[in-house]
Amino acid sequence: MQTKCFHCGLVTTPQFTYHTMVQGKQQDFCCPGCAAVAAAIVNNGLEDYYHYRSEFAEKATENADDFLEKLKVFDDDNILQEFVEDQGNASEIQLTVSGINCAACAWLIEKQLAKVKGINKVGVNVSARRATVTWDNQQLKFSQILSHIEKIGYHAKPFQPEQHEATFRQENKEFLKRLGLAGLMTMQVMMLNIGVFFDLFGHIDAQTKQYFNWISLLLTTPVILYSASEFYSSAWRALRAKLVNMDVPITLAITLTYVSGVFATIQNSGQTYFESLCMLVFFLLISRYLEHSARYRSSQLSANMLEYMPTTATLIEGSQLTPILAKSLKTEQRVLVKSGDMVPVDGVIIEGEGQLDEAMLTGEFDLVSKSIGETVFAGTVNQLGTLTIKVNKTLKDSMLNQINMLQNKALLSKPKIASLADQFSQYFVMAVLLISLSSYIIWLQIDASQAFWITISILIATCPCALGLATPSALSCAVAHLNSKGVLLKRADALEQISQVDWVALDKTGTLTEGKFTLDTCFCAQNQDKATCLEIAASLEQYSSHPIAKAFSELPSEYLVKDFSAKVGQGVSGTIEGVSYKLGSLSFVNLNVPIQMQGCNVFLSTQDKVLCGFLLTDKIRESSGELISEMEGKYLTLLSGDIPSVVENVANSLNIPNWLAQQTPEDKLNVIKQAQAEQHVVLMVGDGINDGPVLAQADVSVTLGAGSDLAKSSADVILLDNSLEKITLVFAIAKRCKVKIIQNISWALAYNLLVLPLAVSGLLSPWMAVVGMSLSSLIVVVNSIRLLK
Amino acid sequence: MSIIYVLIPIALLLVCIAVAVFFWAVKSNQFEDLERHGSSILFDDDLPKKATKTQPSSNKSDE
Repeated sequence: MQTKCFHCGLVTTPQFTYHTMVQGKQQDFCCPGCAAVAAAIVNNGLEDYYHYRSEFAEKATENADDFLEKLKVFDDDNILQEFVEDQGNASEIQLTVSGINCAACAWLIEKQLAKVKGINKVGVNVSARRATVTWDNQQLKFSQILSHIEKIGYHAKPFQPEQHEATFRQENKEFLKRLGLAGLMTMQVMMLNIGVFFDLFGHIDAQTKQYFNWISLLLTTPVILYSASEFYSSAWRALRAKLVNMDVPITLAITLTYVSGVFATIQNSGQTYFESLCMLVFFLLISRYLEHSARYRSSQLSANMLEYMPTTATLIEGSQLTPILAKSLKTEQRVLVKSGDMVPVDGVIIEGEGQLDEAMLTGEFDLVSKSIGETVFAGTVNQLGTLTIKVNKTLKDSMLNQINMLQNKALLSKPKIASLADQFSQYFVMAVLLISLSSYIIWLQIDASQAFWITISILIATCPCALGLATPSALSCAVAHLNSKGVLLKRADALEQISQVDWVALDKTGTLTEGKFTLDTCFCAQNQDKATCLEIAASLEQYSSHPIAKAFSELPSEYLVKDFSAKVGQGVSGTIEGVSYKLGSLSFVNLNVPIQMQGCNVFLSTQDKVLCGFLLTDKIRESSGELISEMEGKYLTLLSGDIPSVVENVANSLNIPNWLAQQTPEDKLNVIKQAQAEQHVVLMVGDGINDGPVLAQADVSVTLGAGSDLAKSSADVILLDNSLEKITLVFAIAKRCKVKIIQNISWALAYNLLVLPLAVSGLLSPWMAVVGMSLSSLIVVVNSIRLLK
Repeated sequence: MSIIYVLIPIALLLVCIAVAVFFWAVKSNQFEDLERHGSSILFDDDLPKKATKTQPSSNKSDE
C-alpha cells in the first residue's frame, strides 16, 4: 500500500521514510524536512494544526538553513528600513508567506509567533497569503521572526505591495461602505413601502402615507447621494469622452426617479418609487462589488509573486569586506562572490575561477566554467569556487534588468481583446436611450400623465446590468474554481483567450523536463558489480554540490571517502578503501572507454581502467506526455536554449513535430511575434527568466510554481503545484466558462427583448421593472456560480 | 397607529447606529480576510490560548 507523507501528502518511498510521533502515533514522512517541521509543530504544542487543517501542507524544504542565512540580510537596518513602519520601540512589517493553504495555517503561524518573546502582534491574512507582524526591535531580530516561521514549514519574506494595490484596497473599502449603506437603507425603505403596497396595515390614511413618504425620502437620500455616486461619475466620464456606457441610463433613471419623488413628496401628490431606487442601487452595487473584489484579490496574489529580495554583495575595499546592497554598486568596484552565492551584478572575473549556473538567463542548467577575464552576469549562481569580480555595469544596466525591460515592453504591447460585452453594451445603451426617448414622445401624445413613469420603467427594465454581469461573474467564478485547484490566474480575461488558443509553444528545461539530471542508464565493464559501482559513485558525489551530484543523491552511499577533491568543470576524485577513484567527464578520466559505454557522459574509473559509464539525462516530467496528447489539434512548437541534439531527442520522445534549439530570449520572442502576426492565438508554457519576455508577449502564458520570479511575474497562469496536466483543467474550465458566458449573454438579451414591449406598452410599473431587472441579474450570477463546482 | 410616529424615528436612530458600526468595521479592516475568520472559531481549543490570540501582547507578560 502507498503511504503518504503525514505533513505534505506526497507518496513516500519505503526506503526513504522518516518518522516522528504526532498526536501519540508514529507517522510517516517523505523527507527529513517534513519530519523536522512536524516535530517542531508538536514540540510547540501546536499539533492541533493537524486536526484543523483542510489541506495538506507544502513539502518542507530541506536546505532551510541556506535560505535563512540569506535572510540575515534583513537584519541590516538600512535594508529593513524599506519595508518597516516604525512605531516607536516597535516595528511593523508586512510579509508574504508562501505555503498558506487553509485557515489552519494562519492559526499555526499566529500561535507559533505569539509564543516568541518580543512579538507584539501577529495578523495572518489567509486570502491574501500575508502576515502583518509588529515586534519590539530591541528584543528581537527580524531574521529570528523569519526563522520561527521557517521552522514550521512556511517561507516568509518581506515585500512591498504594488502601488496600485493600495488604490484597490481603498476602492474596495469604499465599495463596501456604499454597499452596506445601500443595503441597510433598502431594508428600511422596503419595510415601510411593502406595507403600503400590499395594504398590510389595513387602511392607511393620507397623513400616514405622507409621513412614510418623508421617511422614505430621508432614508433614500444618503443612498442616492453617497452610495450611487460612483454611477454618476462613471456616466459623466463616459459622456465627456463622447461615449455612452451602462451607467448613463442608470444615472438618468436614478436622478429622474429621485427628483420626481422629491417633488411628489413635497407637493403631496403623485407617485414615489423610493424603494425601487434603493433596490436598484443596492443590486447594482452588489454586482460591481463582486467584480471589484475578485480583481483586488488577484492583484494581491500577483503582488505576492513579486517577492522582493534585495540582492546583496560583499564589497572588497582594501582588506575589508562589507555587505552592501547590490543596487548601490558602482562600476570599477570589486566584489567577492563565494561558492553558492548569486552574482549580484554584471562584472568581469579578476581573480579565481568558478562554475556558474546560468539557468536563470539561458534556461539550461549545465554549469558554465568561467575564469579570469570572462564576464559573469547578475542573477547567475556561482556553484563552485570563489570569485572576485570587477563591476562593469551597474545593476540598472545589467543583463537581468535588460531581460526584465524586454518583458515589460512585451507586456505593454500585448494584444488586448476588448471585452465583447463591453462593446456590445455600447450599442445596447444607445438603443435603450433612443427607445426611451421615442416612447416618451409617443406616450405624451397618448397619455401625458403616464409618459414619465413609463419612460423610467423602460430605462430600468432594459438596463443592461445582466449583460454587464454576464462576463465578469462567469470569469471570477472560473478563477475561483481554478484557484482552489492550485492554479493561479493573474488575469481573468486570459480565460476568454485560452479557449481560442491554436498555437502552443513549450519551453524544454524545467518545463517539459524536470530541470535536473537523473541517472538514465548505467553500463558496467566486465566483472564489475553494478550496485558496487553505483555506491562508489554516490559516495564520491555526496561531497559535491554540482547538479550532476544530485542525480546520485538518492542512492546509498556507505563508503568512507578520503582525499576528496573536485576539479571545476571536470569531475571529482577520492580514495575509497585504499583505491583511488575518479568520477567525471571523458577528458577527466582520460582512459580508453569500452564501446558499450560510448553513449555515456559520466565515467567512474580507477587509476588504470574504466569501471562504469553513466548516462545522465534530464528526465521528462511524467505529466508532459499527457499534456502533449491533450493538445491534439493545436500547432505545437518546442522552444529551447539547449543544443539541437538534446532538443531533438526530447521532441521525438514526446511526439512534438516542431522544435527550435539554441534560442535566445529575443529569438523566442520573434518566433511568438511571427505566429501572432499570422493570426494565431499563442499559448506559451515556460519557467525560466529567459522565458519572461516570451511569456509576456504570448496571448496566454503558463508558468510553474517552481519557475523563476520573473517568469511568474509575466505569466497569466501559474500552476502552483508544478503539474503540467493542470493545463488541461485550465482548458476545460475555460471552455465551460465560455459556454456560461454565452448562456448568460443570451439570457440577458432575451430578457431585455422580452421586457421591452411590456415596458413600452406601459404594463410595467417602475418597481416591477426593478424586480425584473434584479431577477435577471440574479439568474446570471447563479448560473455563473455553478462554475465553482 | 400613532405609535409609529415614535417607533419609526427610533428605528431610524438604530439604523444610523448600524451604519456607523458598519463603517467603523470596514475602516478597521475587518472585511479584509473573510476566509480565515470564518473558521477561526473552530480552532480555539481552550480559553487561555484564545486570550493569546486576541491579545498577543498580554501573553508576553505571562512568560
